[in-house]
Amino acid sequence: MIRLQNIEKVYRTDTIETLALNSISLDIAKGEFLSIMGPSGCGKSTLLNIMGLLDAPSKGMIKIADKSTENLNDKQLAQFRNKTLGFIFQSYHLINDLQVLDNVELPLLYRDTTAKERKRLATEALEKVGLANRVKHFPTQLSGGQRQRVAIARAIVGRPDIILADEPTGNLDSAMGNEIMEILINLNRNEGTTIVMVTHDENMAQKTHRLVRLFDGSQVQ
Amino acid sequence: MFKHLFKLIWNKKKQNFLLMTEMLVSFMVLFAVFTLMVYYYDNYKKPMGFKYQDVWVININNSYQTKNTDSLDLYYETLRKIIKSLPQVKDLSFVSGNVPFSNQINQGGLTFKGKHIDHLNNFTAEDSYKETMDLDVLEGRWYNKSDAVSKYKLVVIDADLKEATFGKEQAVGKLLGNDDDKKKMKVIGVIQTIKRNGDYVKAGPGLYFRADTGSFRWLSKILVKVSPGADAAFEGKLYKTMAGYMKNSNIEIEHLTNKLKDTNYFAVIPMIVLSIVSCFLIINVALGLFGVLWYNINKRKGEIGLRRAIGATGNSVSSQLVMESMILATLSLIIGSFFAIQFPLLNVFDLSAHIYIIGMLLSIIFVYLLVLVCSLYPGRQAAAIYPAVALHEE
Repeated sequence: MIRLQNIEKVYRTDTIETLALNSISLDIAKGEFLSIMGPSGCGKSTLLNIMGLLDAPSKGMIKIADKSTENLNDKQLAQFRNKTLGFIFQSYHLINDLQVLDNVELPLLYRDTTAKERKRLATEALEKVGLANRVKHFPTQLSGGQRQRVAIARAIVGRPDIILADEPTGNLDSAMGNEIMEILINLNRNEGTTIVMVTHDENMAQKTHRLVRLFDGSQVQ
Repeated sequence: MFKHLFKLIWNKKKQNFLLMTEMLVSFMVLFAVFTLMVYYYDNYKKPMGFKYQDVWVININNSYQTKNTDSLDLYYETLRKIIKSLPQVKDLSFVSGNVPFSNQINQGGLTFKGKHIDHLNNFTAEDSYKETMDLDVLEGRWYNKSDAVSKYKLVVIDADLKEATFGKEQAVGKLLGNDDDKKKMKVIGVIQTIKRNGDYVKAGPGLYFRADTGSFRWLSKILVKVSPGADAAFEGKLYKTMAGYMKNSNIEIEHLTNKLKDTNYFAVIPMIVLSIVSCFLIINVALGLFGVLWYNINKRKGEIGLRRAIGATGNSVSSQLVMESMILATLSLIIGSFFAIQFPLLNVFDLSAHIYIIGMLLSIIFVYLLVLVCSLYPGRQAAAIYPAVALHEE
């Protein structure tokens, strides 16, 4: 589903060159639930951003769903992200001025869908994460766990093949973290969604199919 | 997307309130400026109604004291002959004090067929007034000697009064006067409205009466049409000639060309003041808008990154910010237009509705252009934000 070949990422400033990722090669199968672990600053999020086409590698090749992404322009990349990828972030990235339902509908705004269809799909997605009764709430009226569930609903509303989760349980206590993890496991199991998750939590990582460890930008496991 | 943006703006109404108020105030000031400009232009493009070049105004005070009308007539007829005998004088006319471009007014009102006409200017002029002023007669004729004896009191009206009383119909031969007056006036001619208040300010309707033999007692001005080459030396000669005849009388000679300049100058001052105020406001709004949008980009980097991640292109992020500003402007303009439309509806300053409407449309276009220009650059900056960086900064 996702193939990374010799990915390198170098950050350059006027005086310093930092190698964030060093020759990473990874194959992630369709329906796989993969976790990425490593100490802070080892390049986990950078790798996830590159997989999510939010950042471009300095070297190497990425193929997602058998499609090479290196020659895609801004519009094609945006369309690809919209249809194929779903994102979950540690800090949720919900828009506080929009109600839960509107937040979940966001990815569908960049597709050719009617308002009625958007509402139906968003309600369905919220039902899947158990928040159907919170559609009119604003994010600030929800707990951390509920906010992350809204973020998951937003990630799955467009029915993407791949979900990229950057420390989805990082801001939550263990009980809420487990709830979120359950939702992700169910998504992977029931819907066959490929999930790549960056985490610091060994217990969470153990629940996934495969664990990749990074250290100083290199893959060590 | 429009509904989505509207929701976003509505939910942030408290944050947007100040900016919307600023836009609203700017619109109202621009509305005043543009309405004034349209009003001035509307008057400017109308014909002057007479040829003011080479027409001089001589102010005289009546030094010749007599109760005998014949003696008075003789005195002023002699003065007329003396002035006319000067080689560079083409024509002259004794007139009432409210000559063009002067501050003197003689106004009344008229209720004709149930319609009340306010600020009706009353003028008194002689038969030679037409030649002296080179009047543009639109219908009928100006006065002549045969009008001294008539069954009716004869009157010449201007085009504005004709429009207000008879509309598109012919006015000559019709009777005019207050509805309750038994003795009406008969219209013998319609002249082009004279822009007596200068190029920019509306003159108002005018009613011209014929000066009769007793009028010399109070006709305090003489309009003199001179040859194009008449200079200061001739002016001096004219003064001396008149002073020689009119002992102990104050004589002052003014040129209508200069008087027009002064009148126009005083008309333009309010517009200049308003324009300066609006310029400051526009700069203020432009900087405010620019600042708010710039601040928004920095404050909303996370949102921008998120939108990019879930499928927005750089251009759609940019156009979203521009559209948000335009929606804010639209809301302000709707409120502003509600207030602005009251002016023609309530006829606040007695201006034609079309002047207000054009002023309003110009203000709306200007505000939209201002908002567009101020939001384009911040919008482009937002589009250039790299999603990974934006999401990381949040």
